[in-house]
Amino acid sequence: MYPNEKSLSYYIREAKNLKKIEYGKKIKIGILSSFTITGLAETIKVKCDKVNVNCCTYVSGYNQYNQEILNSNSNLYQFKPEILFLVIDSKNIFKDDYEVFYTKNIDERKKIVEEKLDEIINLAKIFVNKTNSKIVISNLSIPSYSSFGILENKDYGISQMILEFNQKLNARLKNEPSIYVYDLLQFFYRFGEQNIAEPHKIAIGDIKITFDYLPYLAEELIGYIKPYLGLNKKCIVLDLDNTLWGGIVGEDGFNGIKLGPEPPGNIFMDFQRWILALHHRGIILAINSKNNLDDAMKVIREHKHMILKEEHFAAIQINWIDKIQNMKEIAEEINIGLDSIVFFDDDPRNCEIMKTALPEVLTINLPKDPSLYLPLIQNMNDFNVLKITNEDKKRGQMYYQQKQRSELKNETVNLEKYLEKLETKVTIKNADQVTIPRISQLTMKTNQFNLTTKRYSEEEIRHMMNDSQMKIISVQVEDKFGDNGITGACIIKLKNKKEWYIDTFLLSCRVIGREIERAIMSFIINEARERGLETIIAEFIPTKKNSPTENFLDKCGFKKEGEFWIFNTSKEFKKPSIVSLIVK
Amino acid sequence: MSEKLFSLISRILEVSKAQLSEESTPESIENWDSYNGLLLVDELESEFNVKFSVEEVFDVHSIADIKRHLRNHGVILND
Repeated sequence: MYPNEKSLSYYIREAKNLKKIEYGKKIKIGILSSFTITGLAETIKVKCDKVNVNCCTYVSGYNQYNQEILNSNSNLYQFKPEILFLVIDSKNIFKDDYEVFYTKNIDERKKIVEEKLDEIINLAKIFVNKTNSKIVISNLSIPSYSSFGILENKDYGISQMILEFNQKLNARLKNEPSIYVYDLLQFFYRFGEQNIAEPHKIAIGDIKITFDYLPYLAEELIGYIKPYLGLNKKCIVLDLDNTLWGGIVGEDGFNGIKLGPEPPGNIFMDFQRWILALHHRGIILAINSKNNLDDAMKVIREHKHMILKEEHFAAIQINWIDKIQNMKEIAEEINIGLDSIVFFDDDPRNCEIMKTALPEVLTINLPKDPSLYLPLIQNMNDFNVLKITNEDKKRGQMYYQQKQRSELKNETVNLEKYLEKLETKVTIKNADQVTIPRISQLTMKTNQFNLTTKRYSEEEIRHMMNDSQMKIISVQVEDKFGDNGITGACIIKLKNKKEWYIDTFLLSCRVIGREIERAIMSFIINEARERGLETIIAEFIPTKKNSPTENFLDKCGFKKEGEFWIFNTSKEFKKPSIVSLIVK
Repeated sequence: MSEKLFSLISRILEVSKAQLSEESTPESIENWDSYNGLLLVDELESEFNVKFSVEEVFDVHSIADIKRHLRNHGVILND
């Protein structure tokens, strides 16, 4: 099994000894279950602590999930979890009917499945309607035995029923933005029912998942917490020798490295395939390798079994300079925080040095046995996102376009000329159902050009959208190299009849420095004038990362008054001529 | 081996070894509730490489009982 987990009693002990006072982030989670799941909350707390997250938990009493969700005054609602996990088991759902369906005909059984589905989906919907939170419900595990024996698949037995339950659960919740289905069935499949379900624990304590498997379940559920808090990783930085291929190209030569359909070359091809799949899902890739540039590039460009090609990499650092310096340059080139990077390297010394020098980077020392590379990366919960936006899918392509832009920049000496040549087009639109996930994602992720760095969940944005005092806009940026997608957002609040307050004004780092921010501001000022507003109030809340925003309000002609920045709409404000503005 | 047993119980139930004796029972030790009792069973099983039956689990009312059942499974405990 990979990776090895600690025992549950370790986590229960540790949970009592958490001493940290200051955390980077915090979250409140609720856990409801239909069976004894004591220890899960403690484990999640400890695991969160390790990634600098203060996790407060609420665990309902044994099998109290129905009451907790239905009763608006329950402790659950008073606790206000941001994410609620509801873990249920088939036996509890089907109750007395479980395993003895043979007294009922198939239509009756189908009806029971539908009823149970309605029950669970209804609960989930009630919860999200009452809160601004997300709910994650588990699907059902299928018993590996059947009283129908070898004829199970000829009848409509318990396996078939649960299978149908799970399929319909997914189908009916697909378009519910705040409801997620956790694949508990897959969890059972991975670890095995015979390991997870211990008869005497089930009999004595209704412990359906035995102690030492709860830490693995905790890890899975943290896969939802990380992206919720914006702690997911956006970029994979890779070493080359003994990472993307076996052997050392400088010593073994182009034909000597192990990469191809024959073992052990197939191991590296499979590892590359998985990375490519992550890339297609929006993960940025880069190379950081000590190598002769020509040797390494020849493999990347010409080796017929290389799955990852040059165009998949947003930055390539292949040289004999130290890897720390290379890593900093990669981060700068891609314009991404070090804390968004995962670094894979097989050399323990390189990894030690990286961990010490750049602790923000998640450094993964690859195991000695390359066949473990793939399970290792498959087990990571750091690449999850709560929604794949169009921007995510196109990201790889966008970075390739970005490369072309920098090439044009190098050719064009004068910055203004360069910006003109880009033919930037900014489209401003009111937020709608389609753009809400992306707007939320931007508030969670944007650090550098962000006036207030307020983080908003999708639910909160949706809530604000229904408030007539609020205006939420998305900003889409296109230029002659392509579409950057939605890369900016603003949230503006009507304070009173004369005043507008800019609650949020942010722009993705990819498009900073192209006068786009001024174009957006000109839109806000115009809009304020049209509405007969006299004053626009803005605020700059400094953080460690948003210094690029520091002088923006001043440059736009806002005047500082106390904590706020004020703009009188009678004052002139020119839209930058190099940007064309489209308001939809 | 008794030393190992008492260390384990002290760790799981979070009491000092000095507070533990053969006569310790769920009533005399605050943390020895039904859940921790099961956690204890789980840890004993992996530490001493044995498997208890449901009957055995229910038959434990003191540390002396734990020792008796461990011995029945062939675990050698020197006192």
